[in-house]
Amino acid sequence: MTDTARLVRSAQGGDGEAFAQLYQRFARMVHGVVLARIARTEVDDVVQDVFVTAFERLSSLREPAAFPGWLASIARHRAADHGRRLVPVSPLDEVPVPARGHDRIEALAILDAIRSLPEAYSETLVLRLVEGMTGAEIAERTGLTAGSVRVNLHRGMKLLRDKLT
Amino acid sequence: MSDYLWDKNGDGDAEVERLERTLQAFAQATPPPPLDLRRRPPARGGFGRGALLIAATLALAVAGAVFTLMERRDTPAWQVTTGGERSMLSVGSWLDTTKGEATLAVADIGTVTVEPGARVRLLSTRSGHHRMELARGTMHATIWAPPNQFFVETPSTLAVDLGCAYTLTVDEDGGGLVTVLVGWVGFTTGDRESFIPAGFIAVTRPGVGPGTPYSERTSEAYRRALALIDFSPGDAGFAPALSRVLDESEERDEVTLWHLLSRVPAAAGRDRVFDRLAAFVPPPTGVTRDGIRAGDRRMLDAWWDALGLGSTSLWRTWSQQWRDDSYRR
Repeated sequence: MTDTARLVRSAQGGDGEAFAQLYQRFARMVHGVVLARIARTEVDDVVQDVFVTAFERLSSLREPAAFPGWLASIARHRAADHGRRLVPVSPLDEVPVPARGHDRIEALAILDAIRSLPEAYSETLVLRLVEGMTGAEIAERTGLTAGSVRVNLHRGMKLLRDKLT
Repeated sequence: MSDYLWDKNGDGDAEVERLERTLQAFAQATPPPPLDLRRRPPARGGFGRGALLIAATLALAVAGAVFTLMERRDTPAWQVTTGGERSMLSVGSWLDTTKGEATLAVADIGTVTVEPGARVRLLSTRSGHHRMELARGTMHATIWAPPNQFFVETPSTLAVDLGCAYTLTVDEDGGGLVTVLVGWVGFTTGDRESFIPAGFIAVTRPGVGPGTPYSERTSEAYRRALALIDFSPGDAGFAPALSRVLDESEERDEVTLWHLLSRVPAAAGRDRVFDRLAAFVPPPTGVTRDGIRAGDRRMLDAWWDALGLGSTSLWRTWSQQWRDDSYRR
């Protein structure tokens, strides 16, 4: 049994500290999955909602080892639900960019470019480039296979380079 | 694919490294903010949920307290960079940019660039709440914290960052002008408030407060007419000005029209504003002409929500928070 699976089992048994550790361990992954889909200003709230939802439903998770993929799935659904309710403001193509704060504006433009990629690629790239996770960490935290993550990184990065040139 | 993209080892990929540096500001904070499991109570019943809720909440509350203690170590000052020289701006101190442009590091949540000839003061800075004053001149703010953490006081309004990049100018008379590049800015003075989205501008006047936001694409005549509506409501030119604004308004101007719903007196043409906005965004179920005429806040909020720009419940909450903060300060 993996360390994560042990924490899940403990949390299901009523160990609050175990759930707190799961939050610490997976908050970055959930943040990245959500950030890939919705406006930045909404992300923190949705991340909180994801963990509250996971907390509520944890007892229904039969296989503790499936927790990473299960949690990532909740994050994707919560972000999608949120996206249906709110239309993110994406004004970068309309608003002149001043010299000042240019780095920040560039970062927002790059984030927009990543979000415009197919979801599998955008999510993996946000986890890698924004959240700073390695490919192996992305696989471990999302429940995806290392091979899938590698392919997503490779193809996503190629598409992103094309968009940014 | 380079090994670096996979595991950050091996020969660096210059493009990947540049993207990492540029995007790292958006990453989840380390450690993450305390989790509030009480924000939505779990369903009743189920094995062990009650005990788990209590135990987890306690554990996270302890973790949150630790984080809070860590954050309070922050020095109550901002770093200032002027012409390559660094100094610190402490709480209560003024900065006059007589020697040229200055860049302020707003704790760890953003930057403010102050143009030459400006006068600013740091009012307070602590985790989750950073407040400065712009007495005159121009500043450019880029904030990446969640909304409602960065505030700028001016002689005529309070600017509330709702997650954005914007330029704010205060003239010698205390009037202000904000141009929003990304996200939102809230202007509030007393009960008068404006919500300015990206691509929009708003002015503010001493003694009156914030004017109605307008799109950067509107004409000068449109802006002059709007200024008359906002700041000279008793002027004989009010009715023609309103006609101009309504006639020239396009779908992009729905934000402007929504603000006018509560600013144009019922007797001075609020029904006409109702009709013009309804032509672009039909009032949702439950929103009536009589209700809008009476200034029903719930109906105004419901109509805003129908614009598809985000829920008013979010900024109503923020609005309450910034009012509370202003009382505490």
